Amino acid sequence: MLTAAKNQMRVCLLSIKYNIMREMVNKVTFLTNVCFMVLNNATFLVQWFILLRLREDVGGYTLREIMLLWGLVAASYGLSHILFARVFSLSELIIKGKLDSFLVQPKNVLVSVLTSSTDISAIGDFLYGVVIVCACRPGVGGFFLFLLFVVTGAVIFTSMALLMGSLSFWFVRMDMLQNQMVMNIVSFGTYPDGIFSGVTRFLLYFVIPAGMAVWHPVHVLVSFDAGMLFTVLGYVCGLTVLAVAVFYRGLKRYASGNLMEARL
Amino acid sequence: MDKRVEFSALADDKSRRRRAAGCLPWRKYAVIYKSVLMESLQYAANMVTGFLAYFIFIFIFVRLWGYIYQTPGELIAGYTKEQMIWYVMMTEMIWFGSNAASVAREVSGSIRGGNIAYLMNRPYHYTLYVLTKYTGEWSVRLPMYAIFAVVIGTMMVGLLPRFPLAAVPVMALCVVLGLTINAVFKMCISLASFWIEDATPFQWLYDKLLLVVGTMFPVEIFPIALQPLFKLTPIYTVCYGPAKLIVDFSLEKCVEILTAQAVYLAAGSALMFLIYKKGVKKLYVNGG
Amino acid sequence: MQAIEVENLSKTFRVKRKEKGMRGSIKAVLHPRIEEIRAVNGVSFSVEEGEMLAFIGPNGAGKSTTIKMLTGILYPDGGKVEVMGIDPTKKRRQLAYQIGTVFGQKEQLWTHLTPYDNFRFFGAIYDLSEKETEARIGELAERFELAAFIDTPVRNLSLGQRIRCEIVASLIHKPKVLFLDEPTIGLDPVVKENVRELIKQMNREEHTTIFLTSHDVGDIEKLCRRIIIVNAGQIVQDDSVEHLVSHYLDKSPADMQAHDRACGVETGNGEPSAPTLEEIIVDIYKSKEDC
Repeated sequence: MLTAAKNQMRVCLLSIKYNIMREMVNKVTFLTNVCFMVLNNATFLVQWFILLRLREDVGGYTLREIMLLWGLVAASYGLSHILFARVFSLSELIIKGKLDSFLVQPKNVLVSVLTSSTDISAIGDFLYGVVIVCACRPGVGGFFLFLLFVVTGAVIFTSMALLMGSLSFWFVRMDMLQNQMVMNIVSFGTYPDGIFSGVTRFLLYFVIPAGMAVWHPVHVLVSFDAGMLFTVLGYVCGLTVLAVAVFYRGLKRYASGNLMEARL
Repeated sequence: MDKRVEFSALADDKSRRRRAAGCLPWRKYAVIYKSVLMESLQYAANMVTGFLAYFIFIFIFVRLWGYIYQTPGELIAGYTKEQMIWYVMMTEMIWFGSNAASVAREVSGSIRGGNIAYLMNRPYHYTLYVLTKYTGEWSVRLPMYAIFAVVIGTMMVGLLPRFPLAAVPVMALCVVLGLTINAVFKMCISLASFWIEDATPFQWLYDKLLLVVGTMFPVEIFPIALQPLFKLTPIYTVCYGPAKLIVDFSLEKCVEILTAQAVYLAAGSALMFLIYKKGVKKLYVNGG
Repeated sequence: MQAIEVENLSKTFRVKRKEKGMRGSIKAVLHPRIEEIRAVNGVSFSVEEGEMLAFIGPNGAGKSTTIKMLTGILYPDGGKVEVMGIDPTKKRRQLAYQIGTVFGQKEQLWTHLTPYDNFRFFGAIYDLSEKETEARIGELAERFELAAFIDTPVRNLSLGQRIRCEIVASLIHKPKVLFLDEPTIGLDPVVKENVRELIKQMNREEHTTIFLTSHDVGDIEKLCRRIIIVNAGQIVQDDSVEHLVSHYLDKSPADMQAHDRACGVETGNGEPSAPTLEEIIVDIYKSKEDC
């Protein structure tokens, strides 16, 4: 069991290493991609300078909280796209029957699929996130807490994409819903939670989990709250278990071959 | 000598094709347009998710401005809350309805994938082919977004007071010119793929510039020192101009924006043709 | 021992049919018309260890569905499969160590990496130690003559070099059974010959069982002693290549003349010509179509 896990780890690391090697073949492209993504994210500071000129705070957030918020979204989105980029195009793999080559390998299908590609511009996202949070001077403890939330955020992004993507085993055109879901977390997550209320707020914590991926972590970073921390951790575990379960249910269906015309 | 024979054969071929097209060199663009139009119609599902994304953006902005405007009737940078939200709704409508990214994808994809070698020898101008195709795409999408925008706008913030219905055709013209200018500029950036491996990062920056400076806020909200600078960029003609005209119509503004658009379209197209010509030449020299 | 045992294997796909146009789409939602397609219908055969078998049939006959069931990608609806004594539906990962797959039209290699790096990756996938992997790469590289391009990224290789690397990658873990799905597709005649020779050599030296599908009759003639022809999900012929050819000669002259006419062969003197394997295969495909 232990050797199996060790071997699996070896394959994963090799896979990620090779992915990054591929993207670095052309160094100029690699660097422009990373740098431009940093710049690209930085343009949003303009938006907040403007908004915070109009009011001292927006939804209870001052510039420092906004920076934490942006840092968290960028870094966790980045991390999930560096390590598990393939999950974000899972729908396509399923619909086009491209899971076959993973199924003939003696390794865990899900892990092999997840780690089979990377997205270089995501390195720019990740760096931007880390830099902007460091600029807020979170302190050593705060920084480690931030890293923890980057991981939970990345897991939320990945699991959500896995869950939505796995629905492609049953329904057509899920690729769009999958993208939409990931983008929704980003769209809502880059605005303060204070501007939403009522049912919307509830939805934004549990259905489109911007609250779990971003807002709770920001609150914990601003003033530590163990309750919120454990809520986030609990939600992450629950979502992951659900997503993995749905994926494997779907995989059974894939193996039964009754997906859709496209597979014939 | 041999070359000359080849040339005359080519010329023959050209004139024959022209005859075959019924003496109407523009007809082929109409056919391209029609075929993509039919394809677009089938993708109703795309529309639904697109609407959802649009709705979410607008929803966030309604909340955001709802929080920032504190008293009814307050003016920020000369806009009422309703105007501010309608402004975002109109710019986002242009953004979603035009989906200019498809132009960029197509052009970069063809150049990087090497398909361009086949496309550029067809009997049409490649850039016009892409633009015509693109026009077919937005002709379906944009009106649907317009209807959707009016419906949710009316429900969430209410109609704009004193909206000049008679000016709708001019506004539509302004929108169409705006998104064509946008497509031309996106094409120019994509054509850079002839020289650099990946032009997408430049697309991001261009898009972000439009988004932050022209789409989310009207130009007036920025510090006064910066405003004349923004008016020189494509922002003024692509998103700010048409949206401003819709939320706050005035005749002189209309003339000003249409003039700027005409200048931009001419300059942008000239630039596009030039880059394309240079790119093709480079391709011939290096053999792809 | 039998390398592959298949008994009464069946697979039915349920496919939603949609008529053209908008009206068709609406109809498909309201009253979905589900059609059953029997892709594989009661197929039984077995393959000896060390045998080289050609598994052929027209497009859509059920070849790839069968391969997918043998390799554990698809689950059968009925019947029994065993590959090296392992049931693919129950122990897919265990089976993976025993088999190798080469799909001529699908790349398994990472194109930006060199063949050498690719082989090391596959070594890791099959839990070989670094040392074992190195040794195996050295052995195969020599046999397949890869030395000249083992450090060139795969995307810069010619198709022939690439397919050789694909085959080596699938052999890293010394599989007992090798599934080759159209391995020579798109190759020039010289490279085809070379690839066939290598496959033969693997079979001879490592006693690898070869399960081959191909539309290229040359592959079948040069490699396989035995041939299974499937059509519409059923086996229509399971015979040795030699016997198949001689058996066809036994047919009545009238039959053969009809066959010649169907194939557009001008014999001139009215005597039946000895049909080639290709003609026989075409004939079998067609006769099935007729009924």
